Amino acid sequence: MTQAIQRAPLGHYRVKHVVKSEVLKILTLRSTAITVGLTVVVGLLVTALVTNSNLHQGPGYYAGFDPTQNSLAGLIVAGLTGGVFGALLITGEYSSGTIRLSMAATPKRPILLAAKLGVAAAAALTFCELLSFASFFLGQVVLSGGGAPSASLGSPGALRAVVMTGVFIALMALMSFGFGLIFRSTAAAISAFVGIVFVLPLVMHGISERDLRYVPTNILTNSIMSTVNQGPGGILRPLSPAVGLLLMALYATVALTAGAVLFIRRDA
Amino acid sequence: MITAHSLTKHFGASTAVDNLTFEVPPGLVTGFLGPNGSGKSTTMRMIMGLDYPDSGSALIGGKPYPELAWPLREVGGLLEAKSFHPARTARNHLRWLALTNDIPLRRVDEVLDQVGLSSVANRRAGKFSLGMSQRLGIAATLLGDPGVLLFDEPVNGLDPEGIRWVRHFLRDLAAGGRTVFVSSHLISEMALTADRLIVIGRGRLIAETSVADFVARSSGGAVKLVTPDAGPFTSALAAIGAEVTHGDCASLTVAGVTTREIGDLAARDGLRIYELTPITASLEDAFMELTQDDVEYRPSTMAAATAAGGKE
Repeated sequence: MTQAIQRAPLGHYRVKHVVKSEVLKILTLRSTAITVGLTVVVGLLVTALVTNSNLHQGPGYYAGFDPTQNSLAGLIVAGLTGGVFGALLITGEYSSGTIRLSMAATPKRPILLAAKLGVAAAAALTFCELLSFASFFLGQVVLSGGGAPSASLGSPGALRAVVMTGVFIALMALMSFGFGLIFRSTAAAISAFVGIVFVLPLVMHGISERDLRYVPTNILTNSIMSTVNQGPGGILRPLSPAVGLLLMALYATVALTAGAVLFIRRDA
Repeated sequence: MITAHSLTKHFGASTAVDNLTFEVPPGLVTGFLGPNGSGKSTTMRMIMGLDYPDSGSALIGGKPYPELAWPLREVGGLLEAKSFHPARTARNHLRWLALTNDIPLRRVDEVLDQVGLSSVANRRAGKFSLGMSQRLGIAATLLGDPGVLLFDEPVNGLDPEGIRWVRHFLRDLAAGGRTVFVSSHLISEMALTADRLIVIGRGRLIAETSVADFVARSSGGAVKLVTPDAGPFTSALAAIGAEVTHGDCASLTVAGVTTREIGDLAARDGLRIYELTPITASLEDAFMELTQDDVEYRPSTMAAATAAGGKE
């Protein structure tokens, strides 16, 4: 028999060990810094431009104007980069071969996946919430500075919209993480994400306008970011914020569940 | 100790590994030999829990790989030349790996030193040459100071200096009591590195033997005998059960007896011997002989000739 050359600690590896390792993995990739930096700069720039374009308009222009929704416009950028980053967390490991090493180090795949998903979710949620609040405050500064109507976190629905926007974007990134698990290839996973989030709405517009409200981007702008229910009534009415967020959570859960089953069952 | 029992794996209609049973004992370098595509990598991936066998089992110290408490402290595996993210530095690559199994981070610098990569520890691994990548892969296997090590084609693409280094390295690991299992399609490399051989072809076990036995068995232990007394020698040899084939002039090829027995016979009967040589097949010959029916991809010279001739 082989003798133990180095005394191993009691017990066995646990989720906490894998979590530490996954945190280090994310922090030691240049793409993390690039994604974060790009999203902050471009996202806040978009918010500044959108709010700025709504300044100095005639009095009639501001009927039904939603300063909260306006100030969150830059988060759409985070929706795109978050989707790319979520997929890359998994597909990057497959393309580099790191995944085989990860599985050899911690062969219980549910533990490996739980740690990966937990770290990705925590990172995405923290970042998206911070960006959501930053974008809101920046937008309100621009609006109030230009004499346009502005909101504060105390305004009706404002805090709800800001917090939910962060959660929603994080869920979009996790849905893309699920695509990464399913497809294992960067190109395929990002195509699936962009297809569903950005192309599907265009197609739906031509086919069935009433079902547009179930599409992630439409839920985001019309149900989550919005604080005044300005959309049309009847069957075209946007979903309520709670239903919209739950539906996005459902989309993410479906992608992640399918991905998890494949991740655990398939040969590495 | 690695044990494979009736290991079988199909990919679609083709059988990659076919009812493979073998043992890899500690303290020796065991070579895993077979032509390209014979199922070596698939077998190693099944041992490491990466691929699931269709039937049979692979155990490490009696346990399936996924049941190991601290995998990196028990098994080190190098299955791919490059299994690191190109953007990460060598040191960070080993650090995340160490964290998974609660291995002290000082081990990272120790193993980098051991494989001679200390000076490039903070360089991005994507910039490494193939030889440096291979050393980084080996460093990763040593992190947890495991008792069992698997290397899939570790010398592929290395320069002669690198090959020598790996060879000594594997021998040192085995000398320290570890189980070392190393695959190759190069028989000459295995002859220099391995103590034992597990030979497979088309996923089936062909031989599980020592290197010396492998050669002896394939050459059949034949002996070349040159004598002016071919006639009496032939009948005397036949009397003790040897098989004699007549060559040209005074040369005989004798199978089934040793050179010592022939010498004793000559002394007893007063027969003259001009030359007595054991015929040792080269390792390549032995390998080719064993695997000739088991090479999956073989160029068909007939087909090539016909195709060339058929084109007017």
